[in-house]
Amino acid sequence: MTGMDEMHVFDRAAVRRHRDRAAATVGGVAEVLADAAERLLDRLDDTSRRFGRALDVGGRGVVAPLLRARGLHVVSCDLSARMAARSGGPCVAADEECLPFAPASFDLVVASLSLHWVNDLPGALIQLRQALAPDGLLLASLPALGTLAELRAALTEAEAALTGGAAPRVSPFPDLRDCAGLLQRAGFALPVADVEEIALLYADPLALLRDLRAAGEANAVALRDRRAPPRALFPLALAGLPEQDGRVRASLRLAMLTGWAPAEGQPKPAARGSGTVSLADVLKKE
Amino acid sequence: MTDPVSAAPPPHAPVDPRLLEILVCPLTKQALTYDRVRNELVSRAAGLAYPIRDGIPIMLPEEARKLDDA
Repeated sequence: MTGMDEMHVFDRAAVRRHRDRAAATVGGVAEVLADAAERLLDRLDDTSRRFGRALDVGGRGVVAPLLRARGLHVVSCDLSARMAARSGGPCVAADEECLPFAPASFDLVVASLSLHWVNDLPGALIQLRQALAPDGLLLASLPALGTLAELRAALTEAEAALTGGAAPRVSPFPDLRDCAGLLQRAGFALPVADVEEIALLYADPLALLRDLRAAGEANAVALRDRRAPPRALFPLALAGLPEQDGRVRASLRLAMLTGWAPAEGQPKPAARGSGTVSLADVLKKE
Repeated sequence: MTDPVSAAPPPHAPVDPRLLEILVCPLTKQALTYDRVRNELVSRAAGLAYPIRDGIPIMLPEEARKLDDA
């Protein structure tokens, strides 16, 4: 191990470079991103609350138009200014770990598949909560454990076969239970985390890698192996991906997170000792 | 947003006024002042000036200009 700070799992400069580069290519994967965003925004239909001002975090030009279509004023931010500019509206270059927004600037924050390269996720969530007005809503989706599991397994196996070792080539993803806990720790009320699965089928396994790169999702794990991988690695790994009707399958397992900025009048658990009926009495009646 | 005093139009792409209302220094979370001439958002508390490029405020400390103490 190096003496690297354990909080720095990801190389943020690399994340920014990948997103800068991907600003030109992300249109090619807009369909998948829009599908994921729509599933997240569906949660807006579950609430009667109306929202006016929205912050789009890392929406890659896909989320902002969807929010505007719902009549919201949208500000977009991205670590890459070029990627932020794809939003087509007011935007800023900003680091999710160090956000530049005044308290209570928004009623809604949407982070669709954009927080998984953040080192300090609890810190980012706290700052997003502070940017929300009381009773404001956070909607966030993250790839959860199980995402790209096929690719991860195939790469690890192929690399072990070739070199006897394996470097991290797919980002580590949190599990669903961690996600709900994170929201709670960041001070969100009524936190909910659930999972949606999107299965992608590729006729050409190389297209999967091309799409990941096009979306700005190339490997940015700080401890990644920076040397060129063995030439045989990707062919061997891709040949090892499970097939379905002649096509390879890539699973996206998305953790959908919702949490509210605390406010008076929100449903809360009753205070301890405030009950007026004894549970013992209720149970005795049986 | 045009300045009636200056004869020449400002050379910079205009920044959305709504952004100026909500942006704070990412490090200190203090208010910023908009330097129209240099086209920067200045954080006195952090001693940094954040550039605005093509109308996009670049709120990244590593991209900001350090202010001289003069």
